[in-house]
This record gives sequence, C-alpha cells and structure tokens, in this order.
Amino acid sequence: MTAVVAGRRTRRRRAGTVTVALAVVAFALFVLTMMVGSFYVSAWDVITSAFHLRDEPSVDFIVRDLRLPTATAALAVGFALGVSGMLFQKLLGNPLASPDFVGISSGASLFAVSSIILLGAGSAMVSASALAGALVSAVLIYLLAWRDGISGYRFILIGIGLSEFMLSIIGYLVAHAELYEARQAMTWLVGTVGQAGSTELRTLLVALVVLVPVALLLQRPLRVLELGDDTANALGARVELSRLALIAVSIVLIGFATAVAGPVMFVALIAGPIAQRMVGHSGGGIIAAGLVGSIIVLGADLVAQHVVPVALPTGVITGIIGAPYLIWLLATVNREGRGG
Amino acid sequence: MTHDLRAKNLTLGYSDVDIVRDLDVVIPDGRITVIVGANACGKSTLLRGLARLLRPRSGQVILDGTSVHDLKSVEVAKVLGLLPQSPVAPDGITVGDLVGRGRYPHQGWFRQWSSEDDRAVAAALEATGTADLADRNIAELSGGQRQRVWVAMALAQDTDLLLLDEPTTFLDINHQVELLDLLTDLNRESGKTIVIVLHDLNLACRYADHIIAMKQGAILAEGPPIDVIDSAVVTEVFGLACEVVPDPVSGTPMIVPRGRHHAARETVSAAS
Ligand SMILES: Nc1ncnc2c1ncn2[C@@H]1O[C@H](COP(=O)(O)OP(=O)(O)OP(=O)(O)O)[C@@H](O)[C@H]1O
Ligand SMILES: [Mg+2]
Repeated sequence: MTAVVAGRRTRRRRAGTVTVALAVVAFALFVLTMMVGSFYVSAWDVITSAFHLRDEPSVDFIVRDLRLPTATAALAVGFALGVSGMLFQKLLGNPLASPDFVGISSGASLFAVSSIILLGAGSAMVSASALAGALVSAVLIYLLAWRDGISGYRFILIGIGLSEFMLSIIGYLVAHAELYEARQAMTWLVGTVGQAGSTELRTLLVALVVLVPVALLLQRPLRVLELGDDTANALGARVELSRLALIAVSIVLIGFATAVAGPVMFVALIAGPIAQRMVGHSGGGIIAAGLVGSIIVLGADLVAQHVVPVALPTGVITGIIGAPYLIWLLATVNREGRGG
Repeated sequence: MTHDLRAKNLTLGYSDVDIVRDLDVVIPDGRITVIVGANACGKSTLLRGLARLLRPRSGQVILDGTSVHDLKSVEVAKVLGLLPQSPVAPDGITVGDLVGRGRYPHQGWFRQWSSEDDRAVAAALEATGTADLADRNIAELSGGQRQRVWVAMALAQDTDLLLLDEPTTFLDINHQVELLDLLTDLNRESGKTIVIVLHDLNLACRYADHIIAMKQGAILAEGPPIDVIDSAVVTEVFGLACEVVPDPVSGTPMIVPRGRHHAARETVSAAS
C-alpha cells in the first residue's frame, strides 16, 4: 500500500519538476531570442518591455514591434506542434504517428500552395487555406481508415499514402508555376516562424488557450485508450467519442500552427518522445511536450537567425535536427518489435 | 451484491460473418463459469459481446434486467470487468501505473485519485504477487509476469462480475494453478461472479462450478463439469478421441487424449 502511494507520488513529482524546468528553459529562450539581433537588448529591458511593465519608446519599438511577434510565434507554434504530436502518438500508439507524417501537414501544404500558385493568394488567405487543408485531409484519412472503428495502424498507413499523393501534387504545382509564385510557395513550404501574420498568430493563441485545457481533460480517457480499444471499452471509456475529440484537438492545433508558420518539419515528431523520456510515461506530459516543442522551435529560430552566417527559415534547422532522429527511430522501432 | 448477466437470442459477428448465432446463456451468479471450445469457435467473441464490446447483430445482453447497450458504459464498468485475450501496453509504462489505470471507472473528471484507488491497486498487486514489480517497466517483464499484471489491472477495477479471456496463457503450471486458486478465493470470499475462457480442460473441469462447451458459435453443452464432460462431448467439441477419468485430486473429470502414438497397449489393426 505505502509502496504504491510512494511510487505514484514519485512519478508525479518527477513529472512536475521536469515540467517546471522545461517552462523555465522555454521562457529563457523566449527572452533570449528577443535580446539578440542587430541591436542588443538586455534581458531586463526585454522583460519589462514585452510585459508592459515600463514604457521606453526606443526599446519598445525593437522588442514589441520587431521581435515579440516572432518570438511569440515560435513559442506558440512549438507548443501547438508538441501537444499535437504527443496526442497523435499516444492515440495511435506509435512514435511515427506524428501529424506531419500521417498527411495532416501535407494536406495543409497542398491547400496553401494551391492558393499561392493558383489564386495568387495573400498571407491571410494562405493561412486559411492551410487550416482548411489540415481539416480536409484529416477527415479524409479518418473516413478512409474507418472500419468498425479506427485502428492506429490503418490510420498511419492511409495517412502516409495520402501524404505521398498530396506531396506529388504539390511537386507538380510548383514545377508548373511561374517563378515568383514558385519561390513564394517553396518559402512557405520550408516553414518559418518569421512569416507569421498578426491575425493568424492571435488565432493560434486563442486556440491554445481553449484547446490545451481540453487536451488536459482528455488526458484521462487517453490513459485508457492507450491500452487498446477492448480494454478501454471494458473500463467504461467512451472510446470513439474520446478518440474523435483527441484527434480533433490535435488537428486543429497543428492546422493553426501550420497556418502561422508553414509546415515546420519534425517538431511534432520529436517533441513528444523527448518529453516522455524526461517526465516518464505515466505523467501524461502534454504540457511537457508542448514546452519541448516551444524550446525546439525557439532554439531552431535562434540558430536560423543568428548563428548561421545567412538567416535561414526555421524549418531548415528543425529538419537538420529531426532527420537523424527519424532515421534512428526507424532503425530501432522494428528491433523493439513495436513497429505496428 | 447479486447480479444477473444473461444473453438472449444473441447474434454477434464481424463485418459480414456471424460468429455467435442466436445464443441464450445465463451466467450463474456468484459462481465460476468456464468456457471451453476449439480455437476460433467464438469464445472471445461471446465474452466481448457479454462485456458490451461488440454490438449484437440481434438479440441482447441483459445485465440486471437492462440491456447493456442501454446502460452508461462507466456504470457497466463498475460492475462488469473484462480482461481481453491480448491486451496492449503502451511503451514504457510501469506496472503500478498500468494497474492504476484499472481504476478508471471509479474516477471522475475532477476527482481523479482517492485513497480507495490506492487501496484497490495495492490489493490487486498483492493478490497477484506482483507488488515487487510495481516500479518495473512492463516491457521488461517476462510473459507470465506481464500476464499477472494484466490480471491485477482487472482486479483493481474491483467489479462484482469479472470476465477473463485466457488469463493463464504464458503462465507456468504453478502460476496457472495459483491464478485459478486466486480467482476461486475471490469467488468464495467476496462472492465475485467469474467467467474464464480456458484451454486446459483438466483445470477447467476442476475449477468450474459451471462449464460451457462451445462449438461453432453455439453452446453444445453446459452444466457442472461432472455432469457435462465425458469423452463423447470432448470428441464432439474438439474432434479429439480421448478417455475421461476422475481427477485423482479433485474427482472432477480428467481428459486423457488418445492421439495416434504412444498407446501402452498396441491396438492391432483388424485389417488384413
Ligand atoms: N476483429 C475481428 N474481425 C473479424 N473476424 C474476427 C475478429 N475477431 C475474431 N474474428 C473471427 O471470429 C471467429 C471467432 O473468433 P474468436 O476470437 O471468438 O475465437 P476463440 O474461440 O476465442 O478462439 P481462440 O481459442 O483461438 O482464442 C474466428 O473465425 C475469427 O477469425
Ligand atoms: Mg479467444
């Protein structure tokens, strides 16, 4: 009895401590990205200005107008991607099942690129198209994978298939586009937090404020859904409803994140497993996954903007970090016999 | 608490095939029922149907007078538990955590964990001899240890009716007997109604108060093992020629298969 209580407390304490530590790191990076650039601003000035603790016109212009939007976008996009990826991976019981692999991001990209190339759309329209694309592809995969319920494996395979299909259409569109539109589309496709428009960013923030608490509530059914449908049903969970709600939360989050920054690759894939490894598997770790996502995107943006000699889109850096991880994952997944 | 679980004209199936057809069964309250039958005859399907994991094609499963599909899932789950044949554990979770998830139906959105939950988890771990494993990772356990952890999870759910689909797979003979003894204790001490799918006919006959022999989705025979199990029934159910003798320990029927080799007295073929 006491051992059980102690075990549970230890698990929870670990999750709590790690989550707080991650929050501190994310905040530090958030401040740091606003300090560096062509003008150095001290941490103190960044904090007082960003949080409206003091008005100092020269600093405020740099911090509030120039740097805060990008930093907030990085924080929010990373958080949304991390949470979204974690929910998908847990729901489908597979570390490969991140929304950027199972066709959600490709759907967003296809719609966004079509709107750029075919309609010559501006940024707000592109963002709206990306969001629509994420939703449409998700519904399509859900319907195609439905057979007396949803099996994770089928969802992933159909998602990957659909993703390839959409990527090839994107390839076709870009290849046949005018040079200017093609460049614009390619830039969007790499994904960068700097391209955020303020309306989209605000929408993403609202989505986070609404959906993260929902995700935390859904963590309860998620803990039994992870045990397979039969066990979850036997324990009295409302399996289809919970799954639908979890998928919806996950897709809306990645849809909004993609609308803001384009498909920033690999963040949704790697944030969840890193967070899990740190907080342990029982702690839930949705907040931790979001924070890891934020840290990755903030860090990647910092590197992309200030460390490499020419400023690069964020997606290039996350791709460089993510690709080796993916290869490692593919190499180890089957050895541990959990590929399905 | 007494409960009444029964199926009426129950037909269950997957996509376009019916597996269990028009089946009537009453699960004796406060007893141990064992379901036996050949592979793929529909035992798991029936169990899943009884635990409202499958929606009937026709007919219904009735729990305490109400069709289970008209009851709230979580209310059913407080009374009726099921351990599926091949449950899946997510990566990296610990034994204590897994067993704790069996408390799901007793928790709410806001009241997430109580000392009652701790007590149930500790008791389940204790009963299955897995308390020492509480902090171990599920993936690092042997097949038999893992199986006992799953049983612990089903016990933690703390239901009056407990359905177990082949809970003794992977267990060595000692642990098989221990597990069945444990289930018998639970039955005798707290009056739990227990339904088990088993492949070992001898253990089935020994531990069952009521045995159900299934063939091709129908019940071929049911009743106390001593009345029901004889060589004709075993041959009919499994297509196996055998002798049935009294179990030297319990006196219940014990099945001795014939097979085509190894008979002590060679029966010389009469053919020329
Ligand atoms: N999810 C499913 N979808 C389609 N068919 C299924 C499914 N589950 C079982 N079946 C089929 O239903 C039939 C009965 O299966 P069931 O699992 O009930 O058998 P069983 O008696 O439990 O067998 P075993 O002793 O091997 O566990 C089999 O022919 C099987 O192929
Ligand atoms: Mg079975």
